Amino acid sequence: MSGIKNPVGAVAILSLATIVTLIVCPMIGIKWILPSNIANDSDLRFVFLTMRLPRTLVAFFAGGGLAVAGMIYQALFRNPLADPYTLGVSSGASLGAALCIVLGAGGSAFGLSIVTLGAFAGAVGSILIIYTFAWSKESNSSTLLLAGVIVATLCSGLIMFLNFIGGLNQSFQILRWIMGGVDGASYSLFFIMVVPLAAFFAIAGILMPQLDQFLTGDNIAHSRGINIRASRNLFIVITALAVGAIVAICGPIGFIGILAPHAGRMMIPGVRHRLLSLCSFLLGGSFLVLADTLARSVVPPSEIPVGIITAMLGGPFFLLVLFRSKNRLLM
Amino acid sequence: MNTPTPMIQVHDVRAVYGPHEVLQGVSLAVERNQRWAIIGRNGAGKSTLIKLIAGLLHPNKGALQVNGMEARRYSARKRAQIMAYVPQKPDGVIPYSVHDFVMLGRYSAMGLMGMPSHKDREAVREAIDICDIHHLADRLMSTLSGGELQRVLLAGAVAQQTPLLLLDEPTTSLDPAHERLFFEALGRLHEQRELTIVMVTHDINTALVQCTHIGALLNGHFIFAGSAGEFKKQCPAVLEEIFKVRFERYVWSEGKSEAFGAWGVSCPE
Repeated sequence: MSGIKNPVGAVAILSLATIVTLIVCPMIGIKWILPSNIANDSDLRFVFLTMRLPRTLVAFFAGGGLAVAGMIYQALFRNPLADPYTLGVSSGASLGAALCIVLGAGGSAFGLSIVTLGAFAGAVGSILIIYTFAWSKESNSSTLLLAGVIVATLCSGLIMFLNFIGGLNQSFQILRWIMGGVDGASYSLFFIMVVPLAAFFAIAGILMPQLDQFLTGDNIAHSRGINIRASRNLFIVITALAVGAIVAICGPIGFIGILAPHAGRMMIPGVRHRLLSLCSFLLGGSFLVLADTLARSVVPPSEIPVGIITAMLGGPFFLLVLFRSKNRLLM
Repeated sequence: MNTPTPMIQVHDVRAVYGPHEVLQGVSLAVERNQRWAIIGRNGAGKSTLIKLIAGLLHPNKGALQVNGMEARRYSARKRAQIMAYVPQKPDGVIPYSVHDFVMLGRYSAMGLMGMPSHKDREAVREAIDICDIHHLADRLMSTLSGGELQRVLLAGAVAQQTPLLLLDEPTTSLDPAHERLFFEALGRLHEQRELTIVMVTHDINTALVQCTHIGALLNGHFIFAGSAGEFKKQCPAVLEEIFKVRFERYVWSEGKSEAFGAWGVSCPE
């Protein structure tokens, strides 16, 4: 395929699909809640407004944020396998959460549970390690990826150790946290997550032309006027902070961050990053909303952790697309 | 009136790459509007020199000025307004259309938001004209042949509208037909604007036709740096000194044209 498809049409279709998803999905659950119910039934209205709606919003922005973060790391490292967790942010967050669970730290502060705060602290810790390394003389795309893998592996080892010394109940809590989910979402959690995300989208949106240059290779990008190291490190830190905010609240939900950007590239080959980030955001957001809707409706009254759904839906779908695509991976 | 500063002033530059010193005190002055070819054996330091000028590497010792200012003092954006660099080939697949890629060359001229102005579109149109790649404009870069890709890379640099163009073995992997198209594009460019070119090349005969000056590197030193005419007079001896193989001079059209050919035979001692 050598031609460029119509990007405006693709974005229009995506936007429409997103709007439909955002309207229909909150209605679906153990019990359907239709607009007439919201008007007449105060119990269902309560469920809709205080549970379904914030949950849908959290899922949408978390999914969208992960997709944009994945797109940025894929471009920055010119690696189709990169995802939001590549630099070990989610492992750091998981370690922080696991530590709080094992230490039995209960309660809450600033409207957030201690486990969530611990997760965010863990994420920030891993970002600091990577960021310090990123300014060292030896850092380049490959060594940074390697450093991320090492941080992630180290954290996984420590989480396993915590699992080992923790009680059965604590181990289960850790495992459940790592599966990720948006259940228990509230408006306050939504706002706490969406403020750093909004800052991330604004800054990243402005910087997108620099990201375009990264995919031409370091030498050409440098010649075009990009300060490679400064630009790369800025992208790393704003993206990592956004991912940290999402993971602290939703846990490390997998697959969206790697899948949505590739789906966007396959829809509109050759697209530049500002538009691709919009497509990725809409795709990732809608996908997580759909996955969460499934998670709470498949085996009522229990809920499946949404991370399981994203992997089970996303994996086969992505393999199918990959096998059938003439473009393979477009980067 | 002062005489204009040279475009590039290299003074006693040393550059260490890994365990050995690739450039061992190199000096060179490139005046405006000159076209230089840097020749030499593999590993002689040609690419290192051009990367030093491009600001991709920094000298360990010595001074290197471009357009009257120390090369390493340029901000990334300012540098991109003075010089454009064309690599031998890109680091990987570039996932954009040809038109979009050429537009990326306008980065340093655009504002923070990277929105192309009328002037940017004009510059892209002109670059596409000069490099004769109209028919490729809507293609994805990943679908281009090597010869097409090289002219597209050139177009990206042309769109930068810099007074200095750096080419690192731009035609090494091209067949003679595509090499001709590449140099025709370069010729059109040179006709349209004042331009200083420094290129690294292995093709001595092309260099003698296309360039006004030759710099010949051997073991980290220039053993010749001067006009192409003077270089021809010293050939094939200087070529044999560099490459340690026999070179022959071929002359035709009643002495108006000449070329040098190597036969892969060692020089007589």
